Amino acid sequence: MTLFESLPPACFQGVIPAAISTCSHDGTPNVTLLSQVFRIDARHVALSCQFFNKTKQNVLENPFATVELYDPLDFTSYRLEIRYERAETCGALFDAMALRIEAIASHTGLTGVFRLRSADIYEVLACEKREGFLIAPADDPSPEPPDPRVPRSELKCLHLVSQRTARAPTLDGLFTALLEALEEGIGFRHSMVLLPDETGSRLFAVASRGYGDEGIGAEISVGDGLIGMVARERRSLRLSSMDSELRYGRAVRASVQATGGRRELVAEIPLPGLPDAQSQLAIPLLACDRLMGVLAVESRTALDFDEWDEAFLDIVGNQVAASIESAILRERSDEAPAGAVPASEEPTQLARRGPVRRFRFFASDDCVFVGDDYLIRNLPGRILWKLLRSAVDTGRTDFTNRELRLDASLGLPGLRDNLESRLVLLRRRLEQKCPELKLVSTGRGHFRLEIACGVELELVS
Amino acid sequence: MPVQLAKELVELIEGGVSMQLGTRDKDLRPEVLRAVGVTVGADRSTLTVYVPAELAERTLANLEDNATLAITFSHVIDHRTVQLKGKLRSLRRARRNERALSERWLAAFAEQLHMVGFSRRLALRIRIWPSLALEIELHDLFAQTPGPGAGRRIEAGA
Repeated sequence: MTLFESLPPACFQGVIPAAISTCSHDGTPNVTLLSQVFRIDARHVALSCQFFNKTKQNVLENPFATVELYDPLDFTSYRLEIRYERAETCGALFDAMALRIEAIASHTGLTGVFRLRSADIYEVLACEKREGFLIAPADDPSPEPPDPRVPRSELKCLHLVSQRTARAPTLDGLFTALLEALEEGIGFRHSMVLLPDETGSRLFAVASRGYGDEGIGAEISVGDGLIGMVARERRSLRLSSMDSELRYGRAVRASVQATGGRRELVAEIPLPGLPDAQSQLAIPLLACDRLMGVLAVESRTALDFDEWDEAFLDIVGNQVAASIESAILRERSDEAPAGAVPASEEPTQLARRGPVRRFRFFASDDCVFVGDDYLIRNLPGRILWKLLRSAVDTGRTDFTNRELRLDASLGLPGLRDNLESRLVLLRRRLEQKCPELKLVSTGRGHFRLEIACGVELELVS
Repeated sequence: MPVQLAKELVELIEGGVSMQLGTRDKDLRPEVLRAVGVTVGADRSTLTVYVPAELAERTLANLEDNATLAITFSHVIDHRTVQLKGKLRSLRRARRNERALSERWLAAFAEQLHMVGFSRRLALRIRIWPSLALEIELHDLFAQTPGPGAGRRIEAGA
């Protein structure tokens, strides 16, 4: 095996930018940084060409280049002599490189600014380690901080996740159990689950861990950002470092946001995310080729997720997708038959004391605000409005999933609706934004709206 | 014809950024080498760049052949990057009192790396001494920050 073949994979993950030197036909050198060098076989690397820049112009005139590459784990430096061969504009390599670039561009709001023009293939002519680049490490009595990640034990982790998710009594409990088990078993501290909405064109965050209470209900379009790309392509995506374009893009976006004013009553929830994330991994949750959701984890440490993590999460994801489907089927199988009278009986007296909460329903976009705060919209917004209207107009607070499913005004899709996951979202948003209202399960397929405040309703058309 | 650096570019260049020196041999084969210190002359048209002597064999041979070079300065955190092109005016061993310049560069560079998630200790292992001092006359400046504007010529500033 040659030195090039034995270079650590971390050198090719773009953690520390490589440098490339080229020379024009008139003898003027040019040196620039590369976000990533891709090793494609034992004798070739690929570089992404996003703009027709001086490097590309030079190698078309004079194909020789020299690259300095770094191992991000110990800063060892390697020197590659390479020769430009060709540009690929389609095919598997191009698609893989383009997906990564599109995901980064989309994630940072720079879609259209960065796109792959070609995957440029170079032959590796020579590879050497830069002996003497580093001084020997001094004997240092103070050790590096310990890795916060829990030591791995593959079977133990899988067992933990499997046990917790299998025992979760409800869909809601399943998501909580999953994210808890991932932290406890393998040390994933920042994680979230997103599910597709009834249109299939958007995803909403239904559970998160490590981001505080914010972010439940945040929505993204399929195809948008890293997670949206994973949903669209149904392929996992691992970024070992939030490389140069991503950090740069985030800096641009932050400055745009800093100069923008705050709109009143903004019906948006930002997706949870670490502002200083270095590693990200997202996997599609697929049951029989049906997208049940996306599981995403983040870390502040570069190279925190490797192939092992990706394979592990893939296995977990397969199991979780099946568990989601089975939890939904279980809840449905226990639903009351059509036309059954809801479990309760006595109309509930709405609270006359305590605070009065004002709910506004904006019919134009099915959006519910409590006070001046955005609460929820779309299908769960329509459901909440129906429940509140029923409670205020008739005093009825006990409901069944089935009656919601049969209510044409709610507009649930006829086949394979997602009512259960939308109720999980509604329950969690109420816990966070309006704890005076609670959706309490009263048996499979049955629930009660508990109201501990006065309620004022306003329909805004 | 020498060009002059704008003051804000001097701040960028002397701010502990990542520095890569490009040269080429008589057959137009390019070479790249990380620099380990820099100071801009009072005229802002010259700068002295320090490279580790132990790694500079090819770079020195190239500069003795043709004295043509390019050097890129890139801020680790926000990726502001500029590329300068010029000619070598003189080359000598760095003086003992110049070592502090490289030490200051290394401390600032390690701090930038630390802010994007790397251990300071990692960067502090970069060999900075003994070094060679390259006195360079600037002929051209280019923006190199990633994006559509990379490669744009920067007009000399006041």
